[in-house]
Amino acid sequence: MDSGREDCFVVEGKLALPYQYFAGQTGSRFLTALEKEKKIQGVRCPSCDKVYVPPRSTCERCFKPIADNWVELKSTGTVTGFTVIRYAEPHQPFPPPYIQALIKLDEADTPLVHVVRGVGPSEMKTGLRVKAEFARKPTSTIMDIACFRPVRKATAAMGYTYDELEVGMSASFTKTITETDVYLFAGISGDFNPMHVDEVFAKQTPFGTRIAHGALPQCLIAPVLGMKLPGLGTVALEINTRFRAPTYFGDTITATAEVTEKLEEKRWVRMVLTWTNQDEKLVAEGTALVLPPVPMD
Amino acid sequence: MARRVGICAVAQTTYQRDKWHERFQGMALEVLEPLLAQTGLDFSEDKGIGMSISVSDDIFDARTISDNGMTDVLGAHMRCEEKIAQEGIQALYYGLAAIQGGHVDTALVLGHCKESQGQSRNMVTHMAFDPFYTRPVGLDFTAAAGLQAQAYADRSDVGDTHLADIVARAGRMAQLNPATPEAPVLTREEVLASPMLADPIRAHHAYPVSDGAVGMILAAEETALAICDHPVWITGVGNCMDSFFLGDRDLASNFALKQAAARAYQRAGIDQPRDRFDVVEVSDQFAYQQPMWMEGLGLVDEGCGGAWIAGGGPDAMNVNRSGGMLAGNPLILGGLVRAAEVALQLMGLAGERQVADARRGLAHGVMGPAGQFHSVAILERD
Repeated sequence: MDSGREDCFVVEGKLALPYQYFAGQTGSRFLTALEKEKKIQGVRCPSCDKVYVPPRSTCERCFKPIADNWVELKSTGTVTGFTVIRYAEPHQPFPPPYIQALIKLDEADTPLVHVVRGVGPSEMKTGLRVKAEFARKPTSTIMDIACFRPVRKATAAMGYTYDELEVGMSASFTKTITETDVYLFAGISGDFNPMHVDEVFAKQTPFGTRIAHGALPQCLIAPVLGMKLPGLGTVALEINTRFRAPTYFGDTITATAEVTEKLEEKRWVRMVLTWTNQDEKLVAEGTALVLPPVPMD
Repeated sequence: MARRVGICAVAQTTYQRDKWHERFQGMALEVLEPLLAQTGLDFSEDKGIGMSISVSDDIFDARTISDNGMTDVLGAHMRCEEKIAQEGIQALYYGLAAIQGGHVDTALVLGHCKESQGQSRNMVTHMAFDPFYTRPVGLDFTAAAGLQAQAYADRSDVGDTHLADIVARAGRMAQLNPATPEAPVLTREEVLASPMLADPIRAHHAYPVSDGAVGMILAAEETALAICDHPVWITGVGNCMDSFFLGDRDLASNFALKQAAARAYQRAGIDQPRDRFDVVEVSDQFAYQQPMWMEGLGLVDEGCGGAWIAGGGPDAMNVNRSGGMLAGNPLILGGLVRAAEVALQLMGLAGERQVADARRGLAHGVMGPAGQFHSVAILERD
């Protein structure tokens, strides 16, 4: 080069062109519903059953028109891939670092690229459950979803959902029934029947000594259903019990529940219940109908 | 049988971070003059070059119809000119089609790009996205590559050390290539120590910003043999465009590349591509892409790119002897430069990086976010 850079004239330019860009009829419907109703919609191909987000008017595989097959989607989804953006550019929606992720909304088949906030890069992983956070100020773009945030599990983990439960699964709880338990239970229930609290009287009964209230061993099934199987979040709809043998003071009772039937229509679960003592003698048996925990959006 | 089409001359500028002293036209002229000198062709109406095919990009050039400032250098003034605004290797395809179709006997292919002129290459590639769904979330080709690199890392044995070795080797290879005087020469440790850009892509994994131009003369067989001692025949080309939305694709599947390669192999009459190429040039814009594209081409076992790198595969298979895109080529010229490099190897004009007795080579180009569009060209000499 003969000349230095000082002889080179450079124009400082900027390409900036205000423009309008039609989203198309299908895109318009998606963006309008997102902005006005905070609804995320996809379109389902009637031929291959694939649900596309963002929506489009034709299935790229089947060439079928799909624009009228709208499906309303939940705002929850799963991260299928991600990267951490650590370089800065003016076109970025957030200052780096931020997590750019592919998020497959539940019930959709094509993941959407968006941003996940509220989780550190080192905590980030594929499979993370996330939920859309809608923007306060609409932009009429996909940024009407401001970002996705991780779905935080409640401090105590919810129990098995209907879909997670399988016939044959079982759980149990064991406790020794003491004199104290029986006297507290008499107070709780108001059942001061002398067969539970009057040893002299009890000697005259067929049992020959005081026995526990039937409902005392029976209620040991509550920690099984409510805290183990299905677990936290379960609603007990019905419990039937047939008492088979007495529970004496000092007996150790094991209450067991086993899944025997899944009622698809109601998404309820039927369970068989058994109560046994330390000698594996059947104390009581029965059935329960429960509504397992329903995952929250 | 369509007539054979040969690459008869190849020329390129150096690729440098900022050719501040050169306009587009000046870079193009630096390529045009040796092409004319090598072939003895001119732009005369009767016996001259039949058509010019330019390669440039409106946004990189900051002016639409980016070829119209280039007409005199391209021999397009008052003549026939076409522009490729896609990956530059498509100009090879275009010229092949024009000559095989009998429209012309000779074609000039000439691409230019000054990535240095834009404030950032990411800002240019950001404009490749739609304004509703993908641009607002900040996507550009680096972000898309980050998503793909993560998907590929999950699906293959390629790790951080392999990627560092790819970058270090590219720098070593580029030392023997006079066209890449500024290629970064780095050790494995330096690459491993470079900051993350878009995990797992590190700053040194990304191809450097560069300016440059590259060109070729293509000719029908009879003309090719008359103007050139060592024409390189284009025996198979194929390409494939994948879905636009990243979520519609399986980012680690190499779907489009497999299709493009199958089409090129079929046209070149190649059943099993393994061991059939003496030289291979793939467009590795980011380090992870070198093994990933090699897998997609069917030249490396799927998911085994790491073992291939560790086992010295790139040297054994003469992959990117030029340094590849990691040594620095503008985005839109990557594939065209790969084809130029393979042609130079097959012509025996590759200087210090010459692979002995190279007879058949493969050149690969890629464009669009996360390898949306792939082109494969098979080149051979007699």
